[in-house]
Amino acid sequence: MTGPTSELVLFQVGPRTFAAVVHDAIRIGSVRDVPAEDLVLETALGAPRACTRGIVVASHDEAVERTLVVDQVIGTRSVPEVQVQPLPAFAAACLTSGAVTGFVLLDGDPVLLVDLPTLVREHATSAAPV
Amino acid sequence: MSTRDPFDVQQKPKARAAAPRAAAAKRRNTVVGADAARIAVVLRGFAEGNYDGRVDAGAIDDPGLRAIAEAVNGAASAVVEDLRQAHQRVQIVTAGIDEAIEAMIRLVIQGDLSGSLRAGSTDSALTPLIAGIGQVMETLKKFVTETREAAMQLSTSSAEVLAAATQNESSTSAQASAIHETTATMEELKGASHQIAENAQMVAAIAEQTLSGAKQGEGAIKAFMGSMEKVRHNAVEVDDAIAKLSKRVERIGTVVEVIDEIADRSDLLALNAALEGAKAGEAGRGFSIVAAEMRRLAENVLESTKEIKNLITEIREATHAAKEASDGNKREASEGEKLGGNAMASVSGILSGIQETSDAARVIHLATQQQRTATEQVVQSMSEIEEVTRQAQAGSKQATGAASELTKLAERLAELVKRFKVE
Repeated sequence: MTGPTSELVLFQVGPRTFAAVVHDAIRIGSVRDVPAEDLVLETALGAPRACTRGIVVASHDEAVERTLVVDQVIGTRSVPEVQVQPLPAFAAACLTSGAVTGFVLLDGDPVLLVDLPTLVREHATSAAPV
Repeated sequence: MSTRDPFDVQQKPKARAAAPRAAAAKRRNTVVGADAARIAVVLRGFAEGNYDGRVDAGAIDDPGLRAIAEAVNGAASAVVEDLRQAHQRVQIVTAGIDEAIEAMIRLVIQGDLSGSLRAGSTDSALTPLIAGIGQVMETLKKFVTETREAAMQLSTSSAEVLAAATQNESSTSAQASAIHETTATMEELKGASHQIAENAQMVAAIAEQTLSGAKQGEGAIKAFMGSMEKVRHNAVEVDDAIAKLSKRVERIGTVVEVIDEIADRSDLLALNAALEGAKAGEAGRGFSIVAAEMRRLAENVLESTKEIKNLITEIREATHAAKEASDGNKREASEGEKLGGNAMASVSGILSGIQETSDAARVIHLATQQQRTATEQVVQSMSEIEEVTRQAQAGSKQATGAASELTKLAERLAELVKRFKVE
């Protein structure tokens, strides 16, 4: 592989596969080891079913770690940056969440690229008491 | 009539004694001899029953011979007279006898014995005869009276005998008919007895076979109960083995859980290693490759443990099913033993009943054989009785005929006796 690449971590929530930049994830952990209040279950990506893995994500202030509950962490993948595309404007306008920043073509199939800290923040914002 | 006996032969020797003297005097008087010879001729005629001869006494010179000749002639005449009188008396007596006999015969022929005999002759010589005939008549009267009574009794008795003989003949006929029917029935009974004896023998044989079969059934049930006991014992052993297997499976599950946990953590570690390798960029490329390989191994382990878990689940389900099957086998074996026990009790009862049936059938067989023999003897006896009855029937008919004839004879006798009047 030549040229600049992007290191992505691929995971599944429900039936769909998503991708995130590896630097957004602090580590991969087990859900059962995490207190329930630190878990992020239902997000704009949907609700996980198996709930076996958790991707530990740092919030924007990096003071608190949140664990995004996913069904499966597929692994890491190095992809050429040319395969990472920004979200089209029309699609970005249609989406309510700002966590989806683009998509990456993997084996010819488009996989949504997710900004994990934004996703966690949106979940925290929506869950916060008014 | 002279009282001298012309047949006195004692006088002849005297005459003959005189002959020698006359012969001696022949020389003196040959005439005397000739006269004496004539007298002798007459006497010889008397001796021969000829009383017609007479001596010419006038022609005799010798006074002695003349007296003799005259005496001979007198004696002859007396004898002739006596004979005439005797003949006359005989005729009278004979006539009296004939009269008496004719009177008696007439009375007898007329049957009138009520009167007495009246003889026309009063000759005393007939008195004993008349008295005898009177006694005969009395005896005959008594006899006729008794005969009449006897005839009446005989008639009555013969009528009774005839009635009894007729009744006897009727009874004998009815008896012969009944005996014939009884004999025929006994013949049928003989056949039935023979059939019964054969059937009884067949029943006895079947009962023996049934008894043998029941004993075999008893043995089969015992073998079945033994098998049930083994099945139950085996089911208990299988149950124990299943329990041990279940424990082993649980132990394996625990181990697999541990392995799964380790694999899961290995997978997690490999993920984090790959993540860190990716974060490190090109420098962590090799690290990421190792991490990926480790993760692949961990995933293989997880996949294997998953399969093991599935197998354990299947084994659990199988052991559970085996446990239920084993419990079912134990229940079935127990039920089988219970049913076998019930069947054993039933078969024992049946066996006892069949034994009794077999014994009874054997006894019946013997009894029917005896019955058959007895029936044959009865049939034989009935045949003999029938023959005897047939003979008795013939005899009864003959007796009836004889009684009928006797009745007729008695009536005839009564009729005959009625002819005699005795009063």
